[in-house]
Amino acid sequence: MPEKLEILSRDYILSTFKKALEFSEADQTEIVLESEKLSLTRFADSKITQNLTTADNKVVVRTIEGNRIGVSVSNSLDLESIKRALKAAREISSVQTPDEQFVSLPQSPPALPVKAYYESTANYSPVNRAEAIGKINDVGQKNNLLSSGAYRITTDRAAVLNSLGTEQFFEGTKAELSLTLSGDNENSGYAIGYNRDVEKIDPTALAEKAADKAVNSVNPIKLESGPYTVILEPSAVGQMVLLFSFLGFGCKTFISQRSFMSGKIGQQIVGNNITLIENPYHERMQGMPFGFEGVPRQKVYLIENGIARGVVWNSYYANIAGEKSTGHAHPAYKTFSPYPGNLVMGEGNSSVEEMIASTERGIYITHFWYVNYLNPMRTMVTGTTLDGTFLIENGKLTRPIVNMRMAQSIQEMLQSCSMISAEKQLYPQYSVVMLLPYLKVENFNLAAEEA
Amino acid sequence: MGQESFRGMPINDLYSLALDEASRLGATYADYREEDITEQSLSVSDGSPELLNKSFSTGFAIRVIADGAWGFAADSIINEDSIRKTAATAVEIAKASARINKSALELAERQVVEDAYATPFKKDPFAVPLSEKIEFLSELERMMRIDSQINSTSAFMTFIRTQKFYASLDGSRISQDIYQAGCGASCGVIRSHRDRSERSFPTPNGQWITGGYEIINMFDFKNELPRIAQEAIQLLSAKECPQKELDLILGGDLVSLQIHESVGHPLELDRVFGYERNFSGVSFATTDKLGSLKYASDMLTFVADSTYPGGLATYAYDDEGVKTERNILIDKGVLVNYLSDRETAHRIGKKSTACARAEGWMNTPIVRIPNILLLPGESTLDEMISGIDDGIYVISPNSWSIDDNREGFTLGGEVGWEIKNGRLGDMVKSPRYSGNTVDFWNSCDAVGNSDSWVLWGTPNCGKGQPGQNMRTAQGCSPCRFRKVKIG
Repeated sequence: MPEKLEILSRDYILSTFKKALEFSEADQTEIVLESEKLSLTRFADSKITQNLTTADNKVVVRTIEGNRIGVSVSNSLDLESIKRALKAAREISSVQTPDEQFVSLPQSPPALPVKAYYESTANYSPVNRAEAIGKINDVGQKNNLLSSGAYRITTDRAAVLNSLGTEQFFEGTKAELSLTLSGDNENSGYAIGYNRDVEKIDPTALAEKAADKAVNSVNPIKLESGPYTVILEPSAVGQMVLLFSFLGFGCKTFISQRSFMSGKIGQQIVGNNITLIENPYHERMQGMPFGFEGVPRQKVYLIENGIARGVVWNSYYANIAGEKSTGHAHPAYKTFSPYPGNLVMGEGNSSVEEMIASTERGIYITHFWYVNYLNPMRTMVTGTTLDGTFLIENGKLTRPIVNMRMAQSIQEMLQSCSMISAEKQLYPQYSVVMLLPYLKVENFNLAAEEA
Repeated sequence: MGQESFRGMPINDLYSLALDEASRLGATYADYREEDITEQSLSVSDGSPELLNKSFSTGFAIRVIADGAWGFAADSIINEDSIRKTAATAVEIAKASARINKSALELAERQVVEDAYATPFKKDPFAVPLSEKIEFLSELERMMRIDSQINSTSAFMTFIRTQKFYASLDGSRISQDIYQAGCGASCGVIRSHRDRSERSFPTPNGQWITGGYEIINMFDFKNELPRIAQEAIQLLSAKECPQKELDLILGGDLVSLQIHESVGHPLELDRVFGYERNFSGVSFATTDKLGSLKYASDMLTFVADSTYPGGLATYAYDDEGVKTERNILIDKGVLVNYLSDRETAHRIGKKSTACARAEGWMNTPIVRIPNILLLPGESTLDEMISGIDDGIYVISPNSWSIDDNREGFTLGGEVGWEIKNGRLGDMVKSPRYSGNTVDFWNSCDAVGNSDSWVLWGTPNCGKGQPGQNMRTAQGCSPCRFRKVKIG
């Protein structure tokens, strides 16, 4: 049985927002909904340590007076509360400094429908989550491992209406199960599953994958610092690609010359085997089909065969640069640059088994820990390997190794991919979902961590 | 001046219904927390308004123990119907948790109280006209435009008021009215993606306090902002940071980050017990080391103290209704206590250090860093510099990463200066240093005196699932460390 908290209907939301728009006396008005019902079970030491369901809304009101902009956010969805938010936004826009670069709110056609809502996920109950964790614990127990992780179920809703006639509504579900199995000898393994349909997630299979790594991680050896050939699982690839995306694929960073894409459109910036596409319409993505200004999201080639092709835009920066919005606006209370939300990396024709077999000496990396920028100008990041790092010798995985710290330029990494798998996996990080292959990378910089 | 407008919470007695309903459905412990949060954010960038936003968030949460396990549910709609549904959901969730858990959880004792607390402040930030705030931020931007090379400037201020009410089945009733404020500015030169520099003041996050609009008077912006603009220009032609073992002086703002990452987080007792293994990591500072681990040099004493006035994490009670007090964590270098909540404190037979905090009404409390104070030493910055033959001085944190066990780390600053023969030398760009937590803190041989001691606010500490942002603080002065790996 699903938790009892309810979320308001599409009809109620749209009709209430329309009434609020009629009430507004601003030159232009936009009302945006971000709504989330979240159910989450966390577990550690094979016990449930945190278990919750919450429901919240953000109603973001933007009013325009000439080119003065006011923003107010409320979490109440009743008409009177939205009217109060409108009043607060208008008070702000009446005193705000004019923004000479602001032109207009966008007027947009309806976005394409996307199937992103699954009853199976929306109705997945606390008992279902507990049963899944029981299966994970069973795998752990068989292998003398303790389990920890989180099973996260969300139902998201978004709506954008403005006084120019734009009207969009979206509803989607997400299921994300991440888990770590760990032993007494600092050995651990990690796995993650994500899908809009919870029935596509197999807790036992994920647990067995993590258990295999943990069991094989006992008595790791320490390696010297240096450049290594590495094979990165999709999770590790995703951690790198996400930071790369934040650094370079947004319009604000692009036009301020902070992006590695700035001034490089049409030029080769990474290896010609690398293609990165923002594609919310990919059949495995089922992404939200519009941004938070209501502009339908476009499929955007960011990098095609190594050549810089474009970035994602909201209407404000598109107007400044003479470009068209690609539908990637954030809600108006966020000031950071738009970024892709559904990143798809082009596949290769290898398998991970072929990558390992072709490696004389290298390192297999499951994922990284605490990846952060070292030098954004060089796309340099750092972080440590974790939960399954293995030495490859003569085409075989041979020994676990002590976790190492990377100091690596992501751009250089994408210039040094020697093999790309045909298989791809979905990997969620923050609000971004990525569809990623395994990569084999040459000359990846790893250092022995301070002991 | 206190808050004349503080009305206390809650505005009705639905909390009683929540607690009664939870109890009726089988909860042996229940608490109700209602919050009303107002936030105003303003920022300007490159001479244009970037954001002026006022936000409101209201909701409540019911947390229960039923069949010996936790359940939590929260909703933004506060009425009798939602209270009943939320209580039922919380109990249902707890009972689902109990299907897996073989042992019932227990909580450390705490006093049942009825109390109210309000942040003292000098000037209500929400009463200051918006036009005055906009003009102030625009003036900060102008102060940094000292040269045509400076082509990137920004300034911000944020004010947050959180009214919260906590009630528990065992009788506690606590109202708190917390005001938090942040302000800062940054500037840079951008010639291209790879040829650019950035400096900020007072730190890349600005400075954050509990208090009011008086935050804008805490710093000498008029002199400091032109200085950082000059440094931003100088950084473009500064030499690369050396890569070798050197003596190191960290500015107080970087010591603050170092405390946060390698004292605060490792001593969170939920992390020590593995609750964050899958997400935020674990800790080397396991409970078998309590009372014996020589965590830092003799001259270092770290105290958790959310009673300290003005700290960003200054509050009277945590979100489990535990009263804050001063607790020594590391006494003259030796580990003596942890940051805890009632559940984890019970596991080591101690009382909670009142660190259970939730981001907003919609999140469950978890162990969070409070105000952590590194007690001041005796040295001046000049004295520390004069004691170094070959070293480096680094300020303004802009890069950090630490392993999942909170031991090996790499941190960096916006700018550094060489120290040669007891004197500051040339500026260096992208200074970074790395080390191991215990070795690093034990290599500290000088701590700045109380004149240089600042309680730095950190507005963006992330932890937990769902991710909870928390506001913490670290009080410290510049410190000197010997033989550190630089670069």
